[in-house]
Amino acid sequence: MSSIFKGDVSRRSVLAGAGALGAASLAFPHMAVSADGSVLTIRSYSDLQVLDPAFWLALPEADIMRSIYAPLVSNQQGDEWNWRPIAVENIEQLDDLTIAFKLRDNIGFTDGFGQMTADDVKFSIERIADPANESPYAGDWSALKEVEVKDNLSGLIHLKNKFVPLWTTTLPTPASCIVSRKAVEEIGGKIGSEPVAQSGQYILTEWVPKQKTVLKRNPDWAYEPGGYEEIHILPIEDPSTAELGFEAGDLDYTWTSVSSLPRLKENPPAGSVVEEKPSLAYVWLGMNHDNEALKDVRIRRAIQHAIDRQTVVDAAYFGAAAVGNGIIAPGLPGSRDSVTYDYDPDKARELLAEAGAEGMTVTLDILNQSERLTAAQVIQANLADVGITCEIKQNDSGTFWTLGSKDGDYFMNLQLVLSRFSMNPDPSWATVWFTPEQVGVWNWERFNNEEYKALHEEGLVESDPAKRDEIYKKMQGLMDESGCYVFLTHEVVGLIHKDTVNPGLKPNGEPLLPLFKPA
Amino acid sequence: MLSYFIKRLGLAAAIVSVAMFLLFCMIYLIPGDPASVALGPRATEEMRAALREKMGLNQPVLVQFWNFYIGAWTGDLGDEVLSGRPVTTVVLEQLPYTLALIVGGITWSVALGIPLGCWAAVSRGSWADRVVGILSVAVIAVPSFVIAIYALLIFAVELRWLPAIGAGEPGNLGDQLTHLILPSLAVGLGWVGYIARMVRASMLEVLEASHIRTARAFGLPDRTITYRYALSIAILPTVTLLGVGIGQMLSSAVFAEIVFARPGVGKLVYDAILTRNFPIVTGTVLITTVLFVLLNLLADLIIGALDPRVRSSF
Repeated sequence: MSSIFKGDVSRRSVLAGAGALGAASLAFPHMAVSADGSVLTIRSYSDLQVLDPAFWLALPEADIMRSIYAPLVSNQQGDEWNWRPIAVENIEQLDDLTIAFKLRDNIGFTDGFGQMTADDVKFSIERIADPANESPYAGDWSALKEVEVKDNLSGLIHLKNKFVPLWTTTLPTPASCIVSRKAVEEIGGKIGSEPVAQSGQYILTEWVPKQKTVLKRNPDWAYEPGGYEEIHILPIEDPSTAELGFEAGDLDYTWTSVSSLPRLKENPPAGSVVEEKPSLAYVWLGMNHDNEALKDVRIRRAIQHAIDRQTVVDAAYFGAAAVGNGIIAPGLPGSRDSVTYDYDPDKARELLAEAGAEGMTVTLDILNQSERLTAAQVIQANLADVGITCEIKQNDSGTFWTLGSKDGDYFMNLQLVLSRFSMNPDPSWATVWFTPEQVGVWNWERFNNEEYKALHEEGLVESDPAKRDEIYKKMQGLMDESGCYVFLTHEVVGLIHKDTVNPGLKPNGEPLLPLFKPA
Repeated sequence: MLSYFIKRLGLAAAIVSVAMFLLFCMIYLIPGDPASVALGPRATEEMRAALREKMGLNQPVLVQFWNFYIGAWTGDLGDEVLSGRPVTTVVLEQLPYTLALIVGGITWSVALGIPLGCWAAVSRGSWADRVVGILSVAVIAVPSFVIAIYALLIFAVELRWLPAIGAGEPGNLGDQLTHLILPSLAVGLGWVGYIARMVRASMLEVLEASHIRTARAFGLPDRTITYRYALSIAILPTVTLLGVGIGQMLSSAVFAEIVFARPGVGKLVYDAILTRNFPIVTGTVLITTVLFVLLNLLADLIIGALDPRVRSSF
């Protein structure tokens, strides 16, 4: 027994005890942080690289940019896709081709770049739209004619043609974030990983690459302040690591993997809230229309009938996700309740016999993720049931995302492919990737249908929701008919946060950082 | 000693040159288009072509290799393609985190492995020797990522004694050390087994040596014989082993950095491979190769300094 338990306290034992206490205090620093409600610690799935509204690379950068460069409008939190003004006092559509805006009169840029003006709006929008600048987001402003400056704070956005997605997928995105003309021109026209002339509800004060980004409330922001004094954003790629980090108390909010959702919902960590949000993403099994082995539409239709979509989705997502019936998620115009092909193995065998393709062998390319592999294995079993041998080929992301590219040497050998695309809350963002222009770019099924293309263009200028609904349902019907698609799911978004946090979320669960508040 | 040093330095330079060649070949054999991966679905064909040109991918492979080779020897590893930051800066700001992880791993392996090895040797054939033997083999056999996950579950999630993710507040040494405990344990625990086995075997050999028998005959205490006269000789193979072990710890660091969401070159190169960010891959691997070669060189020089037979045999 040690001397301290015997009541024999020496100078040495006191020093040892003090040392142990010091070590213990080092061991629990995160518990002190979580007791302070002014700091919100959240996870992003990647670190920032580019904080330029014209050249950003990943969603976490968009979340940060909307906080540090005041956008004209941003998404509203809740279950409906609405917008709310941020940098504007007023914005309205005067007619199909004109939008009038007036800026709030006291939004300033940091670093001495003065007040935000209508000329900064003109600069910010036109630099994205200008083809010479090669912004990947030029398409967001493809309908832009020009921005006219009326006075210091007011202006008009003129469009070349009517563009219905403007209010859903252009204005509430970084495409309406306003940067300072003077500041951007001073640094040569492009912003890198260090922001310049910030103007939003928060300002980025610290970035430790691969470790942490710190946003602090902008002291000069005169309107509704952000909910937390500081937001710490930790880049954690692996969702399982983030879940463990949350359970250990190191995070206040994180997305979860879909496969963890049932476990977390059933047994949530103490003091936490688990939420499930509908995703806009879509997952499907694609078939290469131009591949020699799949050219006969009866073979593609046979594969459509051979896949038990419910089982595939249940197995891959542990029952957390529902079966999807197209590329447009529920809640948007064009969302469907069913597809035109049923799970019918007998019909599949019949079609294969008609096509003389019994006993055929196909390859199925997938991304090397556990959910995709599980889905692929069920598909493999379904196909084996109708006499098709399926070889699964797993690819890392760098390889996978180039498989169907016409610049590569594999696109004609590609047969079946399990894909997932994310999207914005307008159906045109889903249909655009399957037009004839996208064959060999992102249309890896090489589905080439002129009627589909015409309908896509019609949908972009049709503002009647009922007519849009009809147009987009018809387009997905054409995709069914081609035999190139087996639609699987829209997945779900799982997220978990402490019960002391009231998260600001878009309808699909994506974060709106300034709207997070203490509960 | 000088000629020994020059010969070892020349050999190290040759190893780095060969490593650079192999690295370059491997990277250009990987399928996938870096421009498509980096720019994403919204990029036009013109944008992808411009990025390929900026990355120098349109040049003949030999020209690309020559530019890489000359650049590397002059310390210019180019710029990171997307953010435009110098590759050397990007890698060097991550390197200290990985070095801390490796030093932590070595500390665990030395602090636990050497005493366990000595204890097993002086207790040869006893239950203690057998327990240390079984534990050593067990920790060698278990992959570091398994240790990492279980350490995280037990000490961070269940007990909440230690943080689960990150590297601690910059500038706060105490916080950074606390964040280092679990990842470095995951990296170093396997090496506890190796070192314990190595020290035990060396100690058994040395304890049979005539100078140890003489010391015993003079009546020196066992503790003095073991730690002053036997261990100082038996430790030499362990230094060599640690030189090799640093390479393995670098690969274990990749897992530890991912599992504990720590910054570091392991995670940097993992992300860069997935995104086909070739300048970062080449820069990171080259700098860690140089580091590995230098540390091995250092280990060789230490052994050379400690043991004149090694110097004369080279």
